[in-house]
Amino acid sequence: MTKKKKQNVFVEGPISPAFIAENITSHSTKLDIGGHAIFLGQVRGDVYHEQKVKAIEYSCYRAMADKKMYEIREYAFARFEIACMHIYHSLGKVKAGDICVFVFVSSRHRKASMDACREIIERIKTEVPIWGKEIFEDESYKWKNNS
Amino acid sequence: MTIKILAFGQISDILSGAEIELDNIDNTEKLTVELNQKFPELIRLKYAVAVNGELVSGRAILKHQDSVALLPPFSGG
Repeated sequence: MTKKKKQNVFVEGPISPAFIAENITSHSTKLDIGGHAIFLGQVRGDVYHEQKVKAIEYSCYRAMADKKMYEIREYAFARFEIACMHIYHSLGKVKAGDICVFVFVSSRHRKASMDACREIIERIKTEVPIWGKEIFEDESYKWKNNS
Repeated sequence: MTIKILAFGQISDILSGAEIELDNIDNTEKLTVELNQKFPELIRLKYAVAVNGELVSGRAILKHQDSVALLPPFSGG
């Protein structure tokens, strides 16, 4: 089990579909798992005043963000009957259409992993000091506002 | 005494550079007054304050070499 291992959550740039596939594959030997819940966050190409977002550049307050991610992880293991959990979040630039967040929770039965996955992504968005800068096609930008 | 200011998100644009240092500020209320004078754009912004990585509210004591982070609303994910 990966429960006590402190994970490196932050990755530079987008999270590749191949990395996600490898993560899923690596669980095929864990035969106590009966369900996986996966949330993938993808950068939207929103349009503001006829300007299209071409990428989001993520930054964070690393010391505090690492601590918060760890707290969320510990909380989820205490609160839900889950077997394992992996969280990845991009830093730096991620193009519209690419994956910027990957939450992967596994459990014996589906409900625990689905409930945990939802709560984890909600807490990441509200409690972890990460900021997104939406960069437009002409290189101007706007700080992202989570609603 | 010196404290270190860490600015993030939109506030890093206003403070033009990620980190600055301020002398003779021994609590977060004094700090807010000082910052608002230096950077009037901060007055209309909503942000949280963390001292050495822990969120604080009201008038928190600051010590020499503390790191004070100015955190606008988070927008990860």
